[in-house]
This record gives sequence, C-alpha cells and structure tokens, in this order.
Amino acid sequence: MKAPAPEAWRERLRRRWYRRLASPLGEALPQRRLFLLPTRFGLGWAALVPLLLLLGINYQNSLVHALAFWLFALGVVGLFRAWRNLLGVRLTLRRPAEIFAGGEARLGVVAHARRPRTALRVRCGGRSVQLDVRDGQGEAELPLPAPARGVLAVPTLGLESRWPLGLVRALAWQSHDIALLVWPHPVAEPAADHRPGGTGLDSGDFAGLRRFTPGDSPARLAWKQWSRTGTLATKAFEAPPRENLWLDYDACQGDPERRLSVLCGRVLAHHRAGDRYGLRLPDQLLAPGEGESHRRAALDALARCRPTERRRR
Amino acid sequence: MRRPGPVGTPVVLADGRRLSGAMLRRLFVGQCLVLGLHLAWMPAWFVGLAVAVAGYRYRQLRRDLPRASLGLRLAAVGGLVLALWAEYGGLGEMAALIGLLLGVYLLKLLETHDRRDARVVVVIGLVALCVAFLHDQGVPVALAALVVLAWQVQSLAWLSGARDRRQAWGETAWMLVLSAPLMAALFLVFPRLPPLWNMPEMTRASTGLSDTIAPGDIAELSRSDARAFRVTFRGEVPPPGERYWRVYTLSHFDGVRWQRVTPPQLSATLGLPVSRFVREGRFSAWGEVTSRPRYRYELLLEPDSRPWRPSLGTPRRAASPQRFLADGTLEGREALRSRGLLRLSSSGAPPTYQDPAGPGWHSLLPAGSNPRSRALARRLWGQSDGDPDRYLQAVLARFGEAPYRYTLSPPRLDGQDRVDDFLFGTRAGYCTHYASATAVMARMAGIPARIVAGFLGGERHPDGHLTIRDYDAHAWVEVWRRGAWRRLDPTAAIAPERIERGAAAVAEGREAFLADAPFSPLRLRGIDWANRLRLSWERLEYEWQRGVIGYQGEARDRLVARLLGALEESVSALIALGPWRMMGLAALGLLGVWGGWVGLAGVCRWRPWAPNQPRRLRALQAWLARRGHPGLPGESPAHHLRRLAPRAGPAGPALLAAAAELEGLLYAPLPAGERRRRRRILARRLREIRRRWPRRGWRREARRGIVTE
Repeated sequence: MKAPAPEAWRERLRRRWYRRLASPLGEALPQRRLFLLPTRFGLGWAALVPLLLLLGINYQNSLVHALAFWLFALGVVGLFRAWRNLLGVRLTLRRPAEIFAGGEARLGVVAHARRPRTALRVRCGGRSVQLDVRDGQGEAELPLPAPARGVLAVPTLGLESRWPLGLVRALAWQSHDIALLVWPHPVAEPAADHRPGGTGLDSGDFAGLRRFTPGDSPARLAWKQWSRTGTLATKAFEAPPRENLWLDYDACQGDPERRLSVLCGRVLAHHRAGDRYGLRLPDQLLAPGEGESHRRAALDALARCRPTERRRR
Repeated sequence: MRRPGPVGTPVVLADGRRLSGAMLRRLFVGQCLVLGLHLAWMPAWFVGLAVAVAGYRYRQLRRDLPRASLGLRLAAVGGLVLALWAEYGGLGEMAALIGLLLGVYLLKLLETHDRRDARVVVVIGLVALCVAFLHDQGVPVALAALVVLAWQVQSLAWLSGARDRRQAWGETAWMLVLSAPLMAALFLVFPRLPPLWNMPEMTRASTGLSDTIAPGDIAELSRSDARAFRVTFRGEVPPPGERYWRVYTLSHFDGVRWQRVTPPQLSATLGLPVSRFVREGRFSAWGEVTSRPRYRYELLLEPDSRPWRPSLGTPRRAASPQRFLADGTLEGREALRSRGLLRLSSSGAPPTYQDPAGPGWHSLLPAGSNPRSRALARRLWGQSDGDPDRYLQAVLARFGEAPYRYTLSPPRLDGQDRVDDFLFGTRAGYCTHYASATAVMARMAGIPARIVAGFLGGERHPDGHLTIRDYDAHAWVEVWRRGAWRRLDPTAAIAPERIERGAAAVAEGREAFLADAPFSPLRLRGIDWANRLRLSWERLEYEWQRGVIGYQGEARDRLVARLLGALEESVSALIALGPWRMMGLAALGLLGVWGGWVGLAGVCRWRPWAPNQPRRLRALQAWLARRGHPGLPGESPAHHLRRLAPRAGPAGPALLAAAAELEGLLYAPLPAGERRRRRRILARRLREIRRRWPRRGWRREARRGIVTE
C-alpha cells in the first residue's frame, strides 16, 4: 500500500481537527465551540499596557497609571464583548438557485440571534462576507467559486468577528454536509439543427377569435373587429405541433466535458424556446418533457453525469 | 449633526483595503484632539504640521495621486527633527522627545492606508495622550483626556466594522462604562512602585524660593500667583500670624548676599562628617523630643526641580522617609516630578537645639564691610548696656520709625556695602532688605543669627485648606538666645499687616504685585461671586490633586490596609454568626439577587421608556369604546379611526391624520430615523384626538344627526 501524500495527511488532520472544533450548522453556537484568539493588534495592545505602566511608575504619574489600567480594562471588556457578540448565533445556509461551472455559487448565509450582533464575518473556502444581525436576523451572500461541473462540497464554515475593538478574534467553525450541484458550463452553439425561431405573431395557423381578457397582448388584438362591432376580441392561433427532441450525448463532438457543455447550452436554448426535449446520456436516459422542473432535472443529470459509465440497456 | 444614512459611511473604499476619506477624517480629528491637549506646552507650529499633513492626504485621496514616496516621508521626519533641534537645542530634553512623538503621530497619516495602519495611528494617539499627563494632571486635562480616549475607542469600533455612528458610539459608551470599574479597582489596589530608573525630566521653572538672597529676589516672587503648595491641617490650625513656613536657612553672608550652605558644603568647610548635618528617616534625629508636635498637616506640593519641603516650625515626623537637616529644615530624597502628598508634624517654633555648625559659624561677617552699620551697631550696643535682647529691640524699633518704608519696588542697590546703603540711603525695601539688615546687625553685636527663607501666610479656603502661593514668600531672622533659636521678623515692625493679613493685603493695588499675571483670577477677588466661583474651583482642584493625583505609595498602602481591615472584620463578623445563620443569610442574598434579576428583566421587557405605539393605540380605542364608539369586529384600528372621523367634529382631522400616520408606520419601508419621527407625530395626534374630542352632550346630538361634517 502506498503511503498517502503529505497534503492528504494534512487534509485528514484538518478534517479531524475541524470535527473536534466545529459545531453543527443550524444550531445556536455553544460556548464550548467558541474560541477567542488575540489578533496582532491585540498583542501590541497587551505590550503597550506594561510600557505605559512603566512610564507611570517612573514619572510617578497617577493619571498615566489610570490610563494604563483603563486600556487593560478595555482589553478585558473587549474580550468579554467579543465572546458575547458571537455566542448563540445560529447560522443557516440558503442554496443558490443555479450554479454553472466556471461561475460563482452565491451561497446565501443567514444568521439568527435574539440580540443584535455586529460585524460577523463568515469564511468559507477562502472567501468571506460580513453581516450584521438586526431585528433577529441578518443575511448576506457568499460567492463561492465553482470551477468544475459536479458535486461541490461546501467547505467547513468559519464564523468570526473582531468586534468591538479588533483586539481579539472570536472564532467558531460550523460543520455541515451541504453539497451543491454545479451544472456544466453552457456552450451556446451556432444555430445548426435549431428550428428557425418560431415565436411571435405567426407561431401557428389562425384559429379564430375569442373574447378579450385583460393581459392579452395588444399585438394580437383584432382591431378591425373592434372598429366594426365595438367589442374587443383577441386573435387566437393554433399552437404548432411540437415534436419530441432528443439531445444525444453521442451525437456531440469533443471530449466529454465539452459534450456536456454543449448539451447544457442546448437544454437552456430549448427550454427558452418552450420545446419538449429528452436527454440521452451515457449513464442515464431522461424522457422528453418540458417546463422548469424538467429543465432542472436535465441540468442535474448533466451535472451528475459520469461519461465513463455506460448506460445499461 | 448629519444623520448617517442606512449604510453609514464605509470605513474602507470599494477595493476593501484602502481607508475611506471619512475614516481618515476621524483619525485626523483624533490627532487634533490629542494635539489640543499638548498645545499649551508645545510649540504652536505643530498645528501647521497637522494641517499640512491632512491637506496633503486629502488632495491625494481626492485626486487619486500616488502615495507619499519614501523620500518625502524621510524628508518630513528629518524636517521635524531639525525643527525640534532648533526649538530645544537638542533631542535629549523631555519636551523635545514629546515633540518627536507628537510629530511622528501627525506624520504617520502620510502612510496610513489600510485598517492596520489606522490602528497603529490610534495606538500612537493613546501613547501621546498618556504623555500629555506629564505636562499636567489637573481636572481640565483629565476631562479632556476622557474625551480623547472616547474618540480613539470610537475610531477602533469603526475600524472593527461599525456600520453607523450610533453603533460606534453606543459600543464606545458600553466599553468605557463597563471597563471603568475595573480600571478604578486596579487604580486603587495595584501596588505603587518607586521609580525604577531615571527618565529625562521636564525642565521646570523653579517655583518658590531661591537659596541665595540678595535684596531684589523675592520681589520677583511677589509678581507671580503660581501655587507653591497646599495644606490641610489635622487638628489645630495656627493663627495667621503664626504661619511661618520654614524652607531654607541662609547662614553664609559675603557682604552682598546671603547664601544657603548645604550639608555637604558645611561638612567640607568645617571638617565634620555629613551625618552631623543631615539624617534620613521618618523622625527628626535632632534635639530631644520634649512634647508632642503641635501641628499635624498634609502638604500637597507642586513639582519643583529642587527637593525643598516646607514645614511649620521645626519638622518632627514625616509619613515617608525624608532628609532632616540639622538647621531644622526638611528636604525630600529627590525632587518632585509631579505633585506629591506629604504628611508631616512639626513644632510650630524654631529649633530648640544648637546647630552643629556652632555659634561661631553663625556670627561670621566679612571684615571691613558695611562700616557705617558697624558704627551704628556699636552705638546701639552701648545704649542697650550690652543686653542682647534690648539691643535687638532697639534695632527693630529703628525700623518702625518714620523714614523707613515697606515697598515691593524699592530703589536698586548695587554697591558693595548694601546694608549701609539700605540703612542710611534708600531706607525702603521689603522683607529681604529688613531681614538682611537685622541679621547683619545681630552678627555685628556677636549674636548668632541666620536668615530663614520660606513662606508666610496662605489663603484659607472655606473647606479649611490653605493655599500658599509664590507671592507669600517671606524672609525673616532667627537668633540664638538662651539655648534656642528665636524668631525675629523685622517686617512685623515696619508692615504688621503683612504678617496678620498676608501679602495680598499689603500689596493690593501696588503695581509690582501680580505684575506677571495680568489674567490671574486672583485679580477678581474683589467681586464676590467670582471669588466664590474661584474658591470652589480651587477646592475641587485640590480634592482632585489630593485624592487622585496624590494617590501614590503611602496613600495607597493606607487605603488598601483599610480595605483589608474592613474585609477581615466582615469575615470575622460572618464567622461569629455561626453556620446556620450564615446559610440563611446566603439564601437571603441569593433570593435578593434573583428577585432583582427578575425585576430587571421585567422592566426591560416592559420598556416603559420606549414609546409603545400599540399600547397607546389600544388605550385610545378603549377610550373611544367607553364613549360609545367601539371598533367593529374585524375592523383595523386605522379604519376604526377613519370611520369615526366624519362624526367627530373638531377631532376629525386628527383622527384622519392619525390613521394615515399609523398606516405609514405599519406598511411603508422607512429608515429608522424617519420611523422615530413618525412615531412621535402619531403620539401627538393620538393626544390631540383626546383633547379635541367634543365634550359632554355631543353624543346625544351626534345620535340625532346634528353634528355631521
């Protein structure tokens, strides 16, 4: 058996460490999982107090004594206020509606707390966002990079705050198993086998008139009818017969990711056009359908697609 | 004041790193505040420096110019050092070092770009604030320092992510209020150490007395109203004519001036060990203690470059180790860097023991000087039949006669025989002239004599403490007679009111008095209310200096000992109660704490201080219901008010307005400030409805349909 690489070791260590230190997402932050670390500025502050005290001693100056003690007391109270600012915060995540590879996953972060909280910073995978809690709730969007198609495991969340004076960093980790599905990067094709765009007025044969209902497009109003009879009518057209389109992985060219990207672009285009379409992937078959849920199902299938596994017939 | 917008002014620019103009302005205001504290003691060109740096930074930010180059920054620091060098002639002096710190603090703005830099600026500001206390520790400075501290803490709150002004100042207030008790406790309990090493000193003008007097010196003092020291007596307070504060004895006369001879000089001259002239300790080692010291008091001394300590008569005992000199004066172990407290007891009379320098030392006169005085002395000695007491009386009586007068601006004396010139020429002078002449005359008759320099008098405050100022400086004579030094004050013969009523009484209206203090509040002592104001201010100042500034080693030890004593007493009282009662007491205490907590939480939830709109509205609806206009089931409050409006006569417009305000408050997305404003308006409208509601009889008419609007 091969010895794991140092990076892997480090990763495993970090996992273990986080498991021990982190508290579960969605629960109020407990006292035991809340850490206070001095910042560099805080260390400087701590060094400053004895210096000022020395100044006070050497000059036998009472007010310098008093100010040195006050700075010390401010540090202590700052420690307490920083702890109190983070304690009991409940963090939840809101999944972004859609993520395409190469873009950003705009993860919604919502913090709940009874008391107002200030300057909470949520860190995740090298990105961070700051939010305040007012009236019980505060939210912000955390842009996570989503470089590749597939399942994106959201890294452990770090919640920290340097409020009130920046002397200490109150710190907590939030463990969770939230994974986001990253859809392929859509590639728009030059319209090759696309039906010429059939929207607008001449989308079908004229089928007759019907009574106007508010919301009908003014372009479809039967103005002649109106001038003749004085009643407002709308021209109705017959919808064109729609065939079932099949988007086939094998019909595309290029490497697997490229093919999936092309399919993704097609799914989006057909959805926009309102077509019925099915999806044929190496490991999956999606029956033709239409609508928002079908689009989502298709894109999810593309995201999960493993091109190396052949579909079993 | 501008109300901050919903987002407030951001601390950093859009790139998330560089500081915004608003934050730089905050730092600049902090600099101005710190500078304001220092400005009374530092050269005024620092203001120009601050403005120049801020102006440069402002231009840079507005025009998006590149940052200040290293060359420019180095040149700025070099210029600062040169300017300080020119101002103080070197950088070794304390004031120059403070100037360097201030200058660096101001220049730091040039290279302040991100949050980290801004925090460094704030910290330097705090250090500079601390250093300001080396100039002065009075009440005004302390209050101003509180403001500066609050501003700096608020700057830190901004840097840590405050969104608006309310948040930043709110947090600052919490921080300061919560940390103040801890600060006070540390201040009281932390042990006060003696200075660990020597630091560069502030050069201070020596106030008080000089240790040589030639006629002409003390007049300078009378021109100043600076405080020399303050004193509180425990027990007996001496009458005004007995408040002779001895500071130095001057025993060496060279024909022109009287000079103090320090113990090392004396031991070198006379060939005796120094320990014969000075001993250190808490008790006087000189003379046998025959009686309890008469006066006990606490001195609050102003800082001075010399370690003099005044005492009323001969010092007996001090609360902290001092140097007791054989001539019956006192010295501190070192000069006072800042105001200091000293508890002392003393006899109130000149020493009753011989000076180890001996009577011969105290009769020395330069040969051949002042021949006319010598002739006069011989004549008076003959007239008084060789009786020293009658001789001295004759000398003093001479001063009481007509041609001699007391003046603060006497003619100049610059000959070699100044006593002759004074006694037979000008015949005008003040205490120095008279004391000098008297001591010389005494020595000419072979009576050991010396001059004592010190203070006489002091202003008595309503709370009992005395303030002794520079113009209270005085010189008198001590002669050795019948085994003790006797005080002889020739000024009493020529100007008795100086003794009884103080220097101000004699000098009032004379041009030399307070000549250097044109704006002194002492000039207003004729105006009653101004004088009372001045006295109460001085009293506050005195308590501050005594209680806070003077809270050093010994005062702290005393307080901590008292605290510990009280603690011990209460613990032993508890133990004496026995276990059952103790447990009962603990349970009672816990119950009390719990009750207080519950009550406090209840008050917080109820929030009687917050304008509670629903409550007021419900109260109004109930009020309307009692008048026969209840709300219908399922009717909204606004609709209820609107429905009543057409029939409510004069209250109608108020009802409509209240309904509109209510709906605006409930449904319109308003910023917090606007919301508060509207809430106030609604409360006003609700009150108006009740006020304008038609009185008795209207209901009936309304039912009949008479009042329809």
